[in-house]
Amino acid sequence: MPQFESHFFSSLMFWEVVSFAILLWILAKYAFPPILETLEARERKIRESLEQADRHRAEAERKMQEYEAKLAAASKEAEALFVAARERAQRVQEENEQRLQADAERIKGDAQREIDAERRKAIQDIRNQTTDLALLVAEKVVGRSLNDADHRRLADEALAAAAKQFQKN
Amino acid sequence: MEESPLHPFELHELIPISLFGLDISINKAVILMWIVVGLAAALLVIGGSARKMVPTKLQSLAEILVDFIRGIILDTMGKDGMKFFPLVATLFVFILFSNLLGLIPGSYTVTSQIIVTAVFAVSVYALSVALGFMLHGIKFLGILVPPGTPGWLLPLMIPIELVSQLARPVSLAVRLFANMTAGHTILGVLFGLAIGGGLLIGWLPFAFTIAMNGLEVGIAFIQAYIFTVLSCVYLGDAVTLHGHGDAHAH
Repeated sequence: MPQFESHFFSSLMFWEVVSFAILLWILAKYAFPPILETLEARERKIRESLEQADRHRAEAERKMQEYEAKLAAASKEAEALFVAARERAQRVQEENEQRLQADAERIKGDAQREIDAERRKAIQDIRNQTTDLALLVAEKVVGRSLNDADHRRLADEALAAAAKQFQKN
Repeated sequence: MEESPLHPFELHELIPISLFGLDISINKAVILMWIVVGLAAALLVIGGSARKMVPTKLQSLAEILVDFIRGIILDTMGKDGMKFFPLVATLFVFILFSNLLGLIPGSYTVTSQIIVTAVFAVSVYALSVALGFMLHGIKFLGILVPPGTPGWLLPLMIPIELVSQLARPVSLAVRLFANMTAGHTILGVLFGLAIGGGLLIGWLPFAFTIAMNGLEVGIAFIQAYIFTVLSCVYLGDAVTLHGHGDAHAH
């Protein structure tokens, strides 16, 4: 085998040691320190980032729960306010309806009583005038004056007769 | 032209140089070593200089490589093993780039030279032994006695452990060399068949070379990984002595 030709051993050994020494020197001085440092820095950074992410997540979860609790409370409060407002509105409406109805009843009653009073007055007026008119006619017919009491009695009798007649028809 | 399948492993002196009587002539393998150093340094230095939180493509590549080696060290030696990081990482990068560049047709696989893998393996093993004696003194010889060995087994266990210890650098060197050599030899044989077979049947071995090339890329990674992991294990053994799980406790 060509590899066992000892003729080349000395030069191969010499150059191997020299090359290796040079490579070792270059790498140990210029390559390995920065690479190892960068690797460690990255590992540190990743670890820190993960820890930070964990912390942030925990905080976010806590805040989320807080907000959810707050939201639930606010929602409950709003519900309560809404119910109260609706009840109040209903009560006000009912009160208004009752008051309006009462007002209407009162106005109607007043009007009725006024109408009744006017009617009674009108009937009385008619009666009085009719009596006066009848007396006047009767005075002319009888030609003598009856005293006032007689007048009244006669007139009432006549009116009653007339009313009877009127009711019959 | 029929070629030996081992032809790609032949070296030829390109520029003869001699240093104090030592022959350090430049050949193809040496040039490939320079290219390995240049490419690896360029990738890692440029990739490492970006230092962005969101990495660029080259930075990502460099970081994946570094993170991969860091993972190997942390798995086998624990946090204390990080002081070996530059050595282990350079070893991995050098072997990986050598293996991969060797797959380019016309280039040369540095790690298919037994002397190259042997220098790495013996150096790593020697370092682990030296480290073991430096940290534990004479007690490091205890590595020859697996924990819990009864006293009467010592005459048997010590020679066995001694052999297993000595086999470490040999297996480390031979494994990488053999894998790199075998892959390229198979490729060479298949190419020979493809050319020899002509159009009628030659397409079959040619198709195999394509599949083999894909497989070789995987082997290039795996062998670099195995070499690095075993180096870490040997160094870790020396540091923790039997590795009573101390290293893994970190």
